[in-house]
Amino acid sequence: MNSIRRRLLGSVMTAIVVAALFQAASAYRGALQQADEMFDYHLQQMALALRNGAPNPSAPEDPEEAEYEVQIWSPTGVQLFQSHRNRLPPQAVLGFSDVEQNGTHYRVYSIQTPMQTIQIAQDLSARQARARALAVRAMLPMAIMAPLLMAALWWAIRHALKPLERTRQQVAARAVDDLSPLPEADLPDEVLPLVRELNLLFGRVHAAFHAQKSFVANAAHELRSPLTALKLQAQALDRAPDAPTRSVAIARLHQGIDRAVRLMNQLLVLARQESATDTPAERLNLQDLVQLAVEEALPQAQARNIDLGVAPNQPTWVAGHADALRILLRNLLDNALKYTPEHGRVDVAIISENGAPMLTVEDSGPGIAAADLEKVFDRFYRSPEATAGGSGLGLAIAQAIAQAHGAKLRLDVSPTLGGLRVVLVFTNLPAIAQTPAIGPGVKRF
Amino acid sequence: MRLLLVEDDPMIGETVLDVLRAEHFAVDWVKDGSMADTALRTEHYDLVLLDLGLPKRDGLDVLKALRQRKDSTPVLVVTARDAVADRIKGLDAGADDYVLKPYDIDELLARIRALTRRSTGRAEPVLEAHGLRLNPATHEATRDGQPVTLSGREWAVLEALMARPGVVFSRTQLEEKLYSWKDDVSSNAVEVYIHGLRKKLGAELIQNVRGLGYVIPRP
Repeated sequence: MNSIRRRLLGSVMTAIVVAALFQAASAYRGALQQADEMFDYHLQQMALALRNGAPNPSAPEDPEEAEYEVQIWSPTGVQLFQSHRNRLPPQAVLGFSDVEQNGTHYRVYSIQTPMQTIQIAQDLSARQARARALAVRAMLPMAIMAPLLMAALWWAIRHALKPLERTRQQVAARAVDDLSPLPEADLPDEVLPLVRELNLLFGRVHAAFHAQKSFVANAAHELRSPLTALKLQAQALDRAPDAPTRSVAIARLHQGIDRAVRLMNQLLVLARQESATDTPAERLNLQDLVQLAVEEALPQAQARNIDLGVAPNQPTWVAGHADALRILLRNLLDNALKYTPEHGRVDVAIISENGAPMLTVEDSGPGIAAADLEKVFDRFYRSPEATAGGSGLGLAIAQAIAQAHGAKLRLDVSPTLGGLRVVLVFTNLPAIAQTPAIGPGVKRF
Repeated sequence: MRLLLVEDDPMIGETVLDVLRAEHFAVDWVKDGSMADTALRTEHYDLVLLDLGLPKRDGLDVLKALRQRKDSTPVLVVTARDAVADRIKGLDAGADDYVLKPYDIDELLARIRALTRRSTGRAEPVLEAHGLRLNPATHEATRDGQPVTLSGREWAVLEALMARPGVVFSRTQLEEKLYSWKDDVSSNAVEVYIHGLRKKLGAELIQNVRGLGYVIPRP
């Protein structure tokens, strides 16, 4: 039973029932006791009244009087009066006493005056019946109040929990893709924080959903260009009238296929980077990663006579995924090499800023205009100067990987080479990177 | 026939360029919006193939500027923007036709022919005058039912003249239809092709109007 309403109702109703029972029991006992005292007093008063003269035995019996038995004796022990049948012991102790005679219990009161001894007995069963009736009457208000109280509380609890129920219905009635915030008006303090958190979550999910949707739309649009090229290249091959034209067409078709494949791969890398972050991070030496990436990029640099080098550095440990970071570094190097003119220079450096490992890639290319610095991280953004058939995804991928590693990617002007400087700062360092560990780390980030 | 190809994708551009040249069009290729604008302001084209998603200046922008100059050069928009709203925007901005990527090269050529035909005020696809028939779709020429073999440049000169019989074309105007920027034009190239045509079709078909240029008389 996990409903607040039911739990509240259960506990409150139980409390009311227990309290009512206790109250009724004590009222009953109290009433009985009071009746007892009252009847005793009554006996006493009757006895005192009889001092002044014996009742008229011939008087018709009051049913009320029927339960009393009166006996009067002279000081010598002669019985002067007896109310009806002699069912009682002739003598009893003075004051109150309980007597049993022929299976009937009596409450007896005796007083002695110089003239006579008076004894009044009352049938206890009759007395108790009347006491009980009194006691039940005392319980009556409680018996009426308890259900009324229960109904009132049931209504109050229902009413108090209405905002919660309303919110539940609002959530339940939503369409699958409705991520608009829930109304926060008129919500009690207990529910409001929950709804606020829910709305924040809705906001985040909405943003992610929207990003995914625009990614798919962009990707579909971007796929059109390579596919158009492929289709045209295939048709050009069809139309080629002679062997030289045909071989040109075939070479172009291959380039077109390579380009489509490259775009597909990059889309896949990006999609993976943006979705999979729950594999364990490893402890990695940035030096090794840089060396690998530079080795891979070397042919590209040599083909264009670009001086690609790494500044002297020290072992620098970061936590992350080797494959993802390798792609990130490759993309940064690719970008630098693509935009640096022949005989230019590209420098890679590993430094540390306030203890945070930092990697920079600088080039002697034209750099990026300040107005475009924001845009270059957008997916499918291509610089107007871009000539190579890039996908416009390189930096977007680098950005996604950096974010997954709690690192920041920023762009500015290279102070030494004058071109673009890309700075990757590992700010949000997981503990694993700071304390030397043995073997691959298991810490997640 | 001189075309301006505006396409920022190098692979699409070079392939389309080759196909169009093989079809005897003189083609200039520019890769961004501002270059397209400059080309359209300085040169005369018979048709523009315009991509909309261009660097530097949007294709739609270039198109609007063209129409604002009261330039009625036929514009065939070639784009990946497939939303109906985009197409309407393109046509409203002054496009004459709209082709979606990825498109079929034969369809593109057919639309180019249809547009140039309409822009010269003709409804029928085949050019016909003085017993001479030119079919731009097949590049077949016949004189009185007999096939005539023409070189690409000869075809281009003849097509230009046949498209508007009675209109005198200057040598420069004909050169413009024959050559794109990358071609070197020798000073008497047009005369060479006219000479060749007269040899194949008879001297009387293409007439020389001294001081003005060449004309095929209205039939």
